[in-house]
Amino acid sequence: MNTVPVLRLLLVGTITVAASAQWLNYPTAGVPKTPSGLPNLGAPTPRTPAGTPDLSGIWEPENTLPCDPNDGGDNCTDIPIGEQFLNIAARLKGGLPYQPWAADLSKVRAEGRGKDDPSVRCLPNGVPRANTIPTFKKIVQVPGMLVILDEYNATYRQIFVDGRPFPVDPQPTWNGYSVGKWNGDTLIVETIGLRDGLWLDGMGNPLTDAAKVTERLRRVNFGNLEIEVTVDDPKAYTKPWTVTLNHFIVLNAELIDYICVENEKDASHLGK
Amino acid sequence: MNATTVLLSVGLVGVPLAGQWIHYPTAGLPRLADGKPNLSAPTPRTKDGKPDFSGVWEVEHNRPCPPGGCDDMWIPQEFLDIGWSLKGGLPYQPWAAEIVKRTQTDRSKDPNSKCLPTGMVRMYTTPLFRKMVQTPGLLIILTEREVTYRQIFTDGRPLPVDPQPSFAGYSSGKWEGDTLVVETSGFREGLWLDASGSPLTESAKITERIRRVNFGKLEVEITVNDLKAYTKPWTIKLTQMLAPDTDLLDYYCIENEKDQPHLVGK
Repeated sequence: MNTVPVLRLLLVGTITVAASAQWLNYPTAGVPKTPSGLPNLGAPTPRTPAGTPDLSGIWEPENTLPCDPNDGGDNCTDIPIGEQFLNIAARLKGGLPYQPWAADLSKVRAEGRGKDDPSVRCLPNGVPRANTIPTFKKIVQVPGMLVILDEYNATYRQIFVDGRPFPVDPQPTWNGYSVGKWNGDTLIVETIGLRDGLWLDGMGNPLTDAAKVTERLRRVNFGNLEIEVTVDDPKAYTKPWTVTLNHFIVLNAELIDYICVENEKDASHLGK
Repeated sequence: MNATTVLLSVGLVGVPLAGQWIHYPTAGLPRLADGKPNLSAPTPRTKDGKPDFSGVWEVEHNRPCPPGGCDDMWIPQEFLDIGWSLKGGLPYQPWAAEIVKRTQTDRSKDPNSKCLPTGMVRMYTTPLFRKMVQTPGLLIILTEREVTYRQIFTDGRPLPVDPQPSFAGYSSGKWEGDTLVVETSGFREGLWLDASGSPLTESAKITERIRRVNFGKLEVEITVNDLKAYTKPWTIKLTQMLAPDTDLLDYYCIENEKDQPHLVGK
């Protein structure tokens, strides 16, 4: 798999970091501290007055790809990324159980170096890809709902946790329609109504409008959030598959807008 | 103003053809005996006694439909001219008045037409739904247009000294009785406040006084203090009406966008 050009295109092409002004560094409220005064990220999971785990906070995905200047520096991007950003199944033994057309398509897309990737054209990442995008996400948990704010295009996603059923024929969207319920300390979120033609990652693994995505969100401790994602999309894959995406708390920071379409100069240079 | 209406409504706002509108009963909505929403019921309150602004809101339909009938998106007067309700109009600086004059014949410079974010004032006049989610310490506004959000911190924090300029700015609010007073600064240069081209500069400070009059009505009094663009501060009121038993649907301006090559202007 030729991932490097994809990576370069996605990060150099579409993610630029603001050069002026300042980062936001207002202290996060309610952070447990160690005796020496440092944040205690291993402290117990915080809870809401209703007793469920509180997932609220600013989170970033696990960014594991090392920056090695001797390797051409291709991973030394301004925003560090994880291997699951490039290939959501990077840790899945045996790889994805593709239907034949999906295997062919992901090969063509990988060779196309991301030129048809919706996100390099500033379109939304959708579900579940937003979980691997290296911009900050802020989870705001309120009674009956989880809101996820994302720096990427300053966008959001709603997850209803008020017991409602799925709509019968939802308008297909990039985020789909998400309903969650608590099972012990795990929030189980099911999503349907996804728009056809979503990409799951930088190499172009496909998702169709037949997909049902299940996310199991578990805040392991104060500083760690695990999102186990199961994709059941019989049109693209011969059987459901499951991957785990790790997230880490970000303290004393805030979201800063990243508007992809602003001063966008790349689309005209993308391959035919 | 027909040209504007056509451009913004036909050009930028496409109504989905498949699927269905979201119809789910709003929790806690007071109802009349016949089951209809009682929109004049008292303002709901949070556990700590503050007015609760949470809900799905839309513009007040204060502009009559054109003779040919209403457009698919029914714009309010303030969408076209944010100073519509002011006697004598907005107190433009000469360069700002020039932009507004130019925009009468050339609408190609409107950031809205390039699928850029609307900014915090125009967010209120866009004829798509907004949802307010009020939590202790934070008020979030989710908008259908571009599926974007705005945060208003209500945890007592000061405005940052040198914030990264952004479309929505940086907002901090505090309660004065039943009114949430929100101060915003840190705007990106070159924002528009309406389709007429009324500008907002990076030196602007905006004060909102938000009040939920009753269950069904939200009043947002906005004072714009931007002496680079206007000779004095000015204040208007934008009324928002509750949209019951529904929810947000995504609207992506940039998806399948075909208009920009045609926005040649003069």
